[in-house]
Amino acid sequence: MEMVFENLKESIAKFFRSEKYEEAVNEFIKDLQKELVKSDVNLNLAFEITKKIKERALTQEPPVGVSRKEWFLSIVYEELVKLLGGDSKPSIKPARKPWIIMLVGLQGSGKTTTAAKLAYFYKLEGYKVGLVAADTFRPAAYDQLRQLGEQIGVPVYGDPSIEDAVEIASRGVKYFVEKGFEVVIIDTAGRHHKEEDLLEEMRLISSSVKPDEIILVIDGSIGQQAYNIAKKFHETTPIGSIIVTKLDGTAKGGGALSAVAATGAPIKFVGLGEKVEDFEVFKPSKLVGRVLGYGDIEGLVERV
Amino acid sequence: MFKRIKEAFKKFIESASSIIFSREKLESLIDELKLELVASDVAYEVAEEISSRLLKAVDEGLVRSREDLQRVLKNILIEVFEKAGSVDLLSVARANKPCKLVFLGVNGVGKTTTIAKIAVLLRDNGFKPLMVAADTFRAGAQEQLKIHSERTGIPVFTGKYGSDPASVAFDAIQFASSRGFDALLIDTAGRMHVDIDLVNELKKVVRVVKPHFKILVVDALTGNDAIEQARFFNEAVGVDGVIVTKVDAYEQGGVPLSIAYILGKPVIYAGVGQGYKDLKPFNVYEYVNRILPDLES
Ligand SMILES: Nc1nc2c(ncn2[C@@H]2O[C@H](COP(=O)(O)OP(=O)(O)OP(=O)(O)O)[C@@H](O)[C@H]2O)c(=O)[nH]1
Ligand SMILES: Nc1nc2c(ncn2[C@@H]2O[C@H](COP(=O)(O)OP(=O)(O)OP(=O)(O)O)[C@@H](O)[C@H]2O)c(=O)[nH]1
Ligand SMILES: [Mg+2]
Ligand SMILES: [Mg+2]
Repeated sequence: MEMVFENLKESIAKFFRSEKYEEAVNEFIKDLQKELVKSDVNLNLAFEITKKIKERALTQEPPVGVSRKEWFLSIVYEELVKLLGGDSKPSIKPARKPWIIMLVGLQGSGKTTTAAKLAYFYKLEGYKVGLVAADTFRPAAYDQLRQLGEQIGVPVYGDPSIEDAVEIASRGVKYFVEKGFEVVIIDTAGRHHKEEDLLEEMRLISSSVKPDEIILVIDGSIGQQAYNIAKKFHETTPIGSIIVTKLDGTAKGGGALSAVAATGAPIKFVGLGEKVEDFEVFKPSKLVGRVLGYGDIEGLVERV
Repeated sequence: MFKRIKEAFKKFIESASSIIFSREKLESLIDELKLELVASDVAYEVAEEISSRLLKAVDEGLVRSREDLQRVLKNILIEVFEKAGSVDLLSVARANKPCKLVFLGVNGVGKTTTIAKIAVLLRDNGFKPLMVAADTFRAGAQEQLKIHSERTGIPVFTGKYGSDPASVAFDAIQFASSRGFDALLIDTAGRMHVDIDLVNELKKVVRVVKPHFKILVVDALTGNDAIEQARFFNEAVGVDGVIVTKVDAYEQGGVPLSIAYILGKPVIYAGVGQGYKDLKPFNVYEYVNRILPDLES
């Protein structure tokens, strides 16, 4: 972590030392590409972003009173944040009630844990929340969600004797909606982009419960495949938002950035640990800082 | 398997063959290769090392033809894996009865599932394995291994949620020795390699168990973080071998190469699905021959 920080800091220092603007931009762009792929940003995407930055840097003019070089760094930041859907806070308030959320993602990405975190979050916001255990595949998926539900005091609908995930999902949603619950969160089995049967199951659950929001739960340490996988999920059932998990580790989260680019869906929350409270509303500038390995990039931009 | 890296090498060898005497052009091709490797999830650091070894061979005049190029590349890769050595887990188990295996890794990589797979493998090879549910933390972890036990017919030793994992493991060892189990597969809770308390807890498990073999489980889809995980776990408790899981989701990944290079420890199996038989021995020569195109020399 520290190393990358040093790297970019060095690149920035080098950039300011350099005599010729165009040369300096080219050098910096190269360093930036390297940092991005090291942070697991998809290679093509990294080329695309840096191309855009370079184009702006070499054709546009800085506003009056701002030096060209300082302005350049703010472009870098701006373009990266733009990729994440801008710096505004994501809307996390359900647009209507009941609000049905369905979580999807790869095996082990953190869906079940995130279902509980999300339920807890909305519970604290004052909503009446229910959880539906529609993973009929992973051993003890129901027990896992039931135990988490007990921890946070949120009811869990499930039936481990039923093998049909579509049936459980629709029954569970019906059960909670009839009882006047306001947010219903459906946990589903892990699956990957090549498992056609499981993708079909996901499609069927979605068409039967008609969720208001499908959330892709993605592991923060995922590498170059993130783009393709997110795209495939998005093609199967349109992804409305993204939650990135496990950012309490050393991963830089560039894969998650690729998932945003692939789906056009914003990141709403991030997972920062195993406990239900290790959960935060997402702030684009923070992830950009992390991907760049430059913690205080915002401060830097403010100075500009 | 591993198609993407193969494509990267193939493209490189083909383009390089026609400009083999221009160092300048070769250098820029090698630079391209580096990025292609990274795009196949070879960790940046490892891709950089491979390309700099390649360039060194060029500067030493070792690369004068297409065949040279293939040979040099193959040697670089083989050297990485040979340094990592190889281990036959079944031989380890035969040599140490009862054999104690500890599985470790970050959250959700596939430790528990892999334990069930290895337990089945051991049983099919004449062992009497016991699975040990020393993950007393994650919701449903105990039940998960219990269900694997019901489905495979392989016994499981469970503990109470919230209890000390080291003491569950200790009790399991006592239990196993009085019942004639000859292989113990000890599951541990997933943990981040930088979580000091949890890493200390893992150290304690290892101190108490004195395992014959510590298996790091790594998800094939992991990007550059794979080498961080490998480094930290190896420093904390020592890793004897690695199992890469979810290779069915990402066949072309560079994770085995990165891990072997960084750890100098062998990749022993690849997980290729969620079924008990979805486990393949990892063969280095097969891997290298797969990622390098048409190498007969
Ligand atoms: N450190 C950390 N661990 C997390 C986080 N979110 C989830 N986990 C852990 O990751 C592991 C997998 O989480 P699950 O919620 O079971 O993942 P899943 O996607 O439901 O898995 P499947 O149902 O098998 O596909 C568990 O050990 C969780 O405790 C996080 O933000 N940080
Ligand atoms: N496709 C595929 N899925 C796998 C493979 N290995 C494990 N899984 C799935 O990955 C998910 C997580 O597996 P677990 O065995 O629970 O992982 P873990 O490392 O024990 O997780 P924690 O104990 O929570 O840290 C489950 O849904 C498994 O079925 C594999 O080789 N291929
Ligand atoms: Mg789950
Ligand atoms: Mg486990």
